[in-house]
Amino acid sequence: MNIRFPKSLRIIALSLVAIGILALALSGVFSSFSRWVVSPITSVQTWVSRQYQGVDNFVSASQDIREIRQQNTELEAENARMQAQIVELQQQLVEFEILSALLEFARANPEHQYIGASVIGRDPSPFLNYIIINRGSDDGLRRGMPVVTQNGLAGRVVQVTATGARVSLITDPVTKINVRVEPSRSAAVLSGSIKGDITLEQIPQDDDVNPGNLILTSGLGGNYPSNIIVGQITSVRSRENALFQSASVQPVTDFSDLSIVLVIINFEPVDFNPLIPDSGTP
Amino acid sequence: MSVILSIPTLGLIAILQSAVVSRLPLNRGTADLMLVVLVAIALQKTVSTSWQWSIVGGLFMDYLSGLPFGIFTVSYLLATGLALIIRERIWRFSFLMQLLVVFFGTMFSHALSFLVLFLQGSEIMLGTVLQVVTLPSIILNFMISLPIFILTQDILEQVNPQE
Repeated sequence: MNIRFPKSLRIIALSLVAIGILALALSGVFSSFSRWVVSPITSVQTWVSRQYQGVDNFVSASQDIREIRQQNTELEAENARMQAQIVELQQQLVEFEILSALLEFARANPEHQYIGASVIGRDPSPFLNYIIINRGSDDGLRRGMPVVTQNGLAGRVVQVTATGARVSLITDPVTKINVRVEPSRSAAVLSGSIKGDITLEQIPQDDDVNPGNLILTSGLGGNYPSNIIVGQITSVRSRENALFQSASVQPVTDFSDLSIVLVIINFEPVDFNPLIPDSGTP
Repeated sequence: MSVILSIPTLGLIAILQSAVVSRLPLNRGTADLMLVVLVAIALQKTVSTSWQWSIVGGLFMDYLSGLPFGIFTVSYLLATGLALIIRERIWRFSFLMQLLVVFFGTMFSHALSFLVLFLQGSEIMLGTVLQVVTLPSIILNFMISLPIFILTQDILEQVNPQE
């Protein structure tokens, strides 16, 4: 038999049941029951959550690694740039030190006018101790002008083009410079050699020269101005019956590491050729 | 191989020689990069313009050097002539031929330089020159010969495969 209740009665009955269940739940009657039901749900939820976090970590970590790698690449590039900058700054510092020393030399010798020049090459032949500088006749350079460094004499201009010049160093085998020894004031001739050494020749036998004595240009011969430091005597060779003594000289300029030089532009070398008589002249 | 190509190529080599190679001496000797390159070119069977390359290279070096004009050109022409004789006579030459020609090329060049400077009145002794200039130069030239020989061979194959 099918008994049908009115709809309103069903609603009231269901409401009462719901209220009753709610009242029972609030009073704690269902607590053990709910723990029994909720516990596996929590466990499953925990497991699902952990798996999700694992996946999430994996995804975010790979993204982080990509970011870290990108940052690393950028930092490496930055590091390379900084290294290059450091090298450039160190080079500038060296140049600055050289230029400061050259300026000091120019201040200490105000009787001359100077032009700074960079050494851009060396003679391709190992037989010649020549350097090539980046200043030429456009800058006022002329053949015969002396070339110095912050330490002292380096050589003289032997050939000039519009934008460059060739400088014969004092170590060149053909070099002959009139010098004097201080403090004895002995006159002598300085010669270069194929070995790159410089020696002092034609020192009068009676003159008192010793290791440590300074060598300065004497100005005789008209090829170099006087009183420019050339080097220092390291050893003296004297034979009993010889007319002259000779000596080894340590140059003040380091010719293996020349990078910037000064050209003395207000010095005119004296040309003695017109004074030399022709061979046919009586 | 085009002679026009020789002007920028050998010009660059001459600049390298003056700006870099000449600053790296062994005792008083320096490597002759131009000589080694010209010999390596002359020894390649595919090259028919070795003489012209030698003249261009020699002129560049004569321009840069303070030695009397022509010494480098004559030296390089002699070395090229020797290289071409070897190339004609020997069916299969090797890297040793490069060393042989570089040796004699360096000797030609230094003998000429010595002779001219001696006649000009330079106080240079033959024994000292051989000891402090020529022998170290030959050693340096030998050292750079192998890489330049291989590089020249590769470049020529790339640049001019049809010759």
